[in-house]
Order: sequence, then structure tokens, then C-alpha cells
Amino acid sequence: MELFLMTLTTGIMVGGIYALIALGWVLIYKCSGVLNLAMGELTLIGAYVSLSFYSMGIPFLLALLFSLIIGFILGILTERIFLDRLIGEPILTVIMVTVGLSFFFRGIVELIWGTDTRVFTPPVFPLEPIHIGPLIVGQVYLWSFVAAIILLCIFVVFFQYTRWGLAMQATADDEMAALSLGVSARFVYATAWAIAFMAAGVGGTLLGNINGLNISVGYLGLLVLPAVVLGGLNSVPGAIMGGIIIGVLQNLSGAYLDRYFPGGVKEIAPFVFMAVFLLFKPYGLWGWERIERV
Amino acid sequence: MSTTFLPCGVYHENYPQDHAWWQTKFVKGKMILLFLLVFVVIPLLADAYWISVCNQIGYTILGALGVQLLIGYCGQVTLGHAAFLAVGAYTSTLLILEFPWPKFLIDWGIAYPISIVIAAVVAGIWSVLFGLPSAKVKGFYLILTTMAAQFITVDFVITQYVSQIGGRGQAFSLPPGTIKIGPWVIDSDQKVYFMMLILVIMCVIGLANLLRSRAGRAWVAIRDNDISAEVMGINIVKYKLLAFFVAGFIGGIAGAFWISNLAAISPEHFPWFWSLWLVGVILIGGVGSIHGAIFGSIFMVVVMELLQLAIMPLADTYPKLLMDFLFIKEAAFGLAICAFLIFEPNGLAYRWWQIKNYFNLWPFSY
Repeated sequence: MELFLMTLTTGIMVGGIYALIALGWVLIYKCSGVLNLAMGELTLIGAYVSLSFYSMGIPFLLALLFSLIIGFILGILTERIFLDRLIGEPILTVIMVTVGLSFFFRGIVELIWGTDTRVFTPPVFPLEPIHIGPLIVGQVYLWSFVAAIILLCIFVVFFQYTRWGLAMQATADDEMAALSLGVSARFVYATAWAIAFMAAGVGGTLLGNINGLNISVGYLGLLVLPAVVLGGLNSVPGAIMGGIIIGVLQNLSGAYLDRYFPGGVKEIAPFVFMAVFLLFKPYGLWGWERIERV
Repeated sequence: MSTTFLPCGVYHENYPQDHAWWQTKFVKGKMILLFLLVFVVIPLLADAYWISVCNQIGYTILGALGVQLLIGYCGQVTLGHAAFLAVGAYTSTLLILEFPWPKFLIDWGIAYPISIVIAAVVAGIWSVLFGLPSAKVKGFYLILTTMAAQFITVDFVITQYVSQIGGRGQAFSLPPGTIKIGPWVIDSDQKVYFMMLILVIMCVIGLANLLRSRAGRAWVAIRDNDISAEVMGINIVKYKLLAFFVAGFIGGIAGAFWISNLAAISPEHFPWFWSLWLVGVILIGGVGSIHGAIFGSIFMVVVMELLQLAIMPLADTYPKLLMDFLFIKEAAFGLAICAFLIFEPNGLAYRWWQIKNYFNLWPFSY
């Protein structure tokens, strides 16, 4: 029981980070219809940038802020250079451009930062675990979770109350109507990419704090795909729930199934679960069911 | 892509003419020249390095054909094709290494060809297994299940379980002389080259013929609009699964062929990168045409080799470059995909089609 509770809490906390990255993903999809397969690489870039700043001796929060700014710039550049020309192209084309981008980014990241594992030195979060009742939770997890939740709240407030956020919601809902009301769709797309870059960057930084940073963090970033599919592609609450479910599922399967299937159960469990889940609910939990007509 | 225009003055008077592969004398001559080129001229002139590049191209073509069938003809986007190559390669290797073949089969050199066929069938069935969700899900959701195929097959089943069979550790090495077809032991790049040619030609002919049969037309109908296809009486689930089977089958052949070129196979030969690479190849070559798979493979492999040749001389002065080449290659590949999709979304096959039509219609291009 104790093991169960502990894996559950760890899962929820890691899931919070996934939820943050997944939110960025869903945002792009909702606003511009782009299915972004480069999310893992966006995670990597943000994480490496903040790590570089941090190892220069800049305080962690400031380093994170810098990486947010760089993520913002990179997001807008990416959108302007690559994605902007592809509005209205077939879905496969757009997906494959993001695949191309993921290769490109990964190559660049490996060129600049190499493939060795790097850690945040000195550790950002204290190493001693915290005891909450019977549970022992690593501080890294706890603070990451808190950070992820705070950022999620900021994003939600941004969408509900600010002018830009409302413009993005309008575009996601009905592009034509938004355009006729004077919302600049191009601006919204660029902002969506910028926010996705920033969300992924924070997520990657937090993930990098947990286990050190190398290329496989990009794989963790890829885990948002099962998360968003689980929640339904165009649902923000779905992304958050999906992220948490994936985190829990991953940790539970790591704790319980590893005995029976030694090896990488933890890595593939989300994908297996997702594939089976899709057989029963083809549009995820809260995705819009598309009614197709000839 | 529509059909090519016939040159001025060529008319079809009956159906056999209309259905013929090589419709004019000129095409026949051109194809014979092509065969001469690949069977005689290249083996005679090319040195070992370029022959191995050709083998790489052939392997890419075999892999890309299956992807082309699924994406280009049936509209089922797959991002996990390397899994089926891996299944083919591992099935074939395991059959060769572990199966108690009767002595005469090995002596006659039939063991490896049989293992290729079995590997292809196994890969096809494996592919159908992961194609099952396509009965219900579409678009991006399907892409995710094919990604799951990659991670489940290569990173889990093969790495954790299949690799343990026989206690050889991670890599299965094939002792020299085990890969034998008839009297020929496949031990040099030249022999691999000829085997590759025959397999590629067989697969291309097989696939091209399949595509102009009922099944092929059904696939194209599903790609263009699956609801109308169903209304017209096509059993979509059956034909989608058939597409997955054929794609997996060709993938299995590709994998089983590739072991002849490798001293040892390990899961690292079939990463997710390779699945994406194959999709990139058909995008660059052109979606929805067999030419596309071939042109794309040739283009990508040759460009990457040229990039390597260009970078190698610099490596003497900057030794770090040698290590970084892999990363440069990745980045270049990514940029190439993006550039092609943005500037030439129809791929190389479309240009080829335009050039052919230009000459067929010349001098009256209207």
C-alpha cells in the first residue's frame, strides 16, 4: 500500500510536468491545427538553454526566465520561417515539417551540447526528501510539481482574462469568425508557438532537474503525445488530465509490472495503454468527435 | 499524379496495349538501357564504396516502398515502419541461427531464401496487428498507434526478449558463410548488390501490379475519401489491413535482405529515426508514386554520402567534426525535409513526370 501511494504521488508530480508540456502542444493544435511532433526537441532546447545559463552562475529563476525569453524568440522564429507558409496544406505535410524540425533541432542540440548527461550543479532543489505523513517525496518532485501547477494556473488565467489569450481562444474556436473580428491569426499562431516553446522549456528544465539532462529527456517530452491523445487532441483540461494520467501510469507500471516484464516497461507503458485505449475511445477522453460527411 | 501523356501519333487499339507496362518502343529501349546500367555498367565501373552506397539505396527503396504504399496509396500515415524491418531482420536471423534446418536445405542454399519469405510473412502479420486500430481511428490518432508499434516492437520486445534468445547478448552476429543463396555465398558487396537488385525489381513489379488491381484501386479510393469508398462497396477494414500486411511484407523482405550486409544485427539498427527517415524519403521523392520512393531513396542516400565526402577532408583539421557528422547529418536531413515540403511539396517524382511530359508533347506542349 505504501509503495502504491508513493508511486502514485510521484506519478502525479511528474505528470504535472507532462501536463505543462502537453498544454503547449494542445495550444498549437487548437490555434493552428498543427500536430507538433517536435515537442521532445522543444523540451530539450529549453532545458539545455536554462542549464547553460545556470552553469554560468546565474540564479536558477533568472536562468529560467532567460530560457523563457529565448524560447519565446525561437518559437516566433520557427513559426515565421517554417510553419507560416504551410497554413492550409494537407495534414501530413504539416506533421512532416514538424518531424523535419525535430531532426533539425535535435542535430543542433547535439552539436552544441553533446550527448553526455549533464546535471544542474549545484543542485537547484535540496536533495533531502520530505516526509508528508507516511509518504516520502523527493523535494525535486515536489517543487517541480508546484512550479508546474503555478505555470498551469498562469496559462489558464492568461487564456481566460487577457486580450491575447482571448484572441487565441477565438482563433481556436473559429478562425474565420476571429479574422472577421479583427484578430490577427498570424499573430496568434506565432504566440501559440512561442508559448509552446516556453512551456516545453520549463517542463524540460524541471525534468532535467530530476534525472539529469541528456537526449533522452527529449523522449520524455515525446510522452506528451500519449498524454494529449488520451485527453483528446483539442481539450485543454484533457491535456492536463492526460499528462497526470500518463505520469501515474508510467510510475505504477514501473513499480508493479517491472517484475514480470523486466526492462523498459516504464518507457513503453504509456504507448501501449494509449494504443489499447484508442480502440475503445477513438477520440480520447474529451476530444471532439468529428462527424464526417462526404 | 496522373498518367503520362502519350507521344504524338501513338494510339491504343486494344486493351492489352492499354495495359502494357512499356507502351512504346522508346520506353522499351529506355528500360533495357536502365537494366543494362544497373546490371552491367554499375557493377563493372563502381568501386566497392559506391557499390555499398548502392546497397544502401536499395535497402532504403525496399523500406520506403512499404511506407509509400501505406502513406501514398492508402493514406494511413505510419511512423513506425522500422519496427517491421526489425521484425523481418530478426525473424530471418533467428531462423538461420536457431532453426534445425535439414542438412540438404543448407547445402542447396535454400535456407536463407526460405527464411526471407517467412520473415516477410511474420513482419506482415505483425504489421496487421498494429494496423488493427486503423479500423477505428484515423489521422493523428493512428499516427500515434504506429509510433507505439515502433516503441513496443524495437525498444521493448526485441531489445528485452528476442535479443535474449540463444544467450548471445545484444547483437546477433552471423557467422560468415551462413547467408547463402543456391550455390552463392553472399559475402561481398557485389553479391549483395545483385541480390538487392533482384529483390528491388521483384518488389517494385509486385507492388506496381498490385496497385493496378482491385486492391490498389480500393486503396486509392480509401486514401481519397474513405467514406465514399465504403459507400461504393469497398470493405475498408479489410483493405486497410491488407495494405498494412503488404507494407509489412515488403518491410520484412527489406529487413531480411539487410542482414546479408551486416556482420551483426542489433536493435540499434532500427531506431525510430529510421522510421521517420523512410517517411522523409517518400516525401522528398513524392507521395503517391513508386518513382517517388526510388527517387527519394537515391536522392537522400547520395546527398548524405556527398555531405560526408565534403566534410571528411575538413576532419583532418577539425577532428571533432568527425564525431559531429552524425548530428550534422540529422540536422541536414531535417532541413531537407522542411525545404522540400515548403518549396517542392510534390516531390522529385512530380518533376520527373513534368520532364517526361515535356518531351512527349514536344514541340506542341498544349
